Amino acid sequence: MNHSAQDWLGLIRQLPLAGRRVRIMNVCGGHERSITLAGIRSALPAEIELIPGPGCPVCVCPEEDIYQAIQLALREPVILVTYGDMLRVPVNAPKGEVRSLEQARAAGGEVRPIASPLEAAQIARDNPATPVVFFAAGFETTIAPTAALAVQGLPENLSLLLSGRLTWPAVAMLLNAEAPGFDALVAPGHVATVMGPEEWGFVVEEHAIPAAVAGFSPGSLLAATYSVLRQHLEGRRFLDNCYPEVVRPGGNPDARAALEQAMRVTDANWRGIGIIPQSGFALREAYAAHDARTLFPDHNAADRRRMGEMPPGCDCARVVLGKRYPNQCRLFGNRCTPRNPIGPCMVSDEGACRIWWAGGMRESVASERTGAPARE
Amino acid sequence: MQIQEIDGFMAKCEAKGVERDVSLFMLQHEPVDLGDFVVVHVGYAIQKITQAEAQSAWEIYDEMLAAEAEMEMELAPPDHA
Repeated sequence: MNHSAQDWLGLIRQLPLAGRRVRIMNVCGGHERSITLAGIRSALPAEIELIPGPGCPVCVCPEEDIYQAIQLALREPVILVTYGDMLRVPVNAPKGEVRSLEQARAAGGEVRPIASPLEAAQIARDNPATPVVFFAAGFETTIAPTAALAVQGLPENLSLLLSGRLTWPAVAMLLNAEAPGFDALVAPGHVATVMGPEEWGFVVEEHAIPAAVAGFSPGSLLAATYSVLRQHLEGRRFLDNCYPEVVRPGGNPDARAALEQAMRVTDANWRGIGIIPQSGFALREAYAAHDARTLFPDHNAADRRRMGEMPPGCDCARVVLGKRYPNQCRLFGNRCTPRNPIGPCMVSDEGACRIWWAGGMRESVASERTGAPARE
Repeated sequence: MQIQEIDGFMAKCEAKGVERDVSLFMLQHEPVDLGDFVVVHVGYAIQKITQAEAQSAWEIYDEMLAAEAEMEMELAPPDHA
């Protein structure tokens, strides 16, 4: 498969689409980033819709967890470490109260951004007398290293506030709904690198939806696009692997073993969406001494206003589920920008809103009064 | 990234002049050597790849960084702008 992106585009343009609309969902912020920044949408025939789906773990991280992390930083004598794109995600707190980890830091909380679980361990070792809480959101690719760190041995003073999620159950939820909203799936390359491409077999086998694993280059993404289009048109569906140089059968056995050893899979809440069965990671009992959920009191008061919800007016949840495009949210680009984000999809590097904004789309197509011409 | 030094499960890796400490803990199933190329995610190598594949990945990241730098400029315009 030595075709260039141009070659794949040429092949796609020769397909007999003839006015047949085909909606292809991706479930990876990295994919959406490449698609948007490389301008792939505008290069494709008009019949093809590329829909960003659930590809941003920070965007679906429970509001309660972020609130809890903020309260730990403010009320407990801890160092709170987390990936940088979590710092500015707002929670639903009244005006004047601390609404993000960034604000918690400004208010005196010891909040430090990190880029790797290794840094969390190092900060814990450098501060042996201080409890360090690693607030870890992420999909399989990001949670596997956290599991590896746990398996290797966590410093005594390091605990985990884990908000890890599995990608495929969100896609399964969409496919089990009456109107999934897409006709084909481009499956995430790095998740498949870790977990194995086979995880996505159910899309084809149980739902007869074409699927192809893609990498992050325009060439790989267009190869996957071509594959699913051809499958769709010919009615011959299979799980294709358009990232074979990195994605191998069975995935990464060490990563999977670490996940299996340190974590169990549990029903989990996705912000603005609700509980998705078997979609979350939780620490196993053997690691209870490092589970921040049991080590610290839950600071979420049961009657906290708008607890767990997306911010008022924010369409992030529908954007995450591929039911609306980012610019169909009425806040997009006016009240909600990367500088003053309202919803998490405008904060995270993997959020579709932020990616579209970075790609030059800056204006909402929704009317302030009537809302968006929704995809759904 | 390319592996420069290995000490147990830890390696020093380099890509385009940037050096990082990288854990090889999740590559125990594969032999890794100095000079090998790996895909790194949050400080952990998750897969070994060929030099050509690493090269192609760098080109993408360069494009992304350029696009992002442009966005950051707009986010925080210089004082004289």
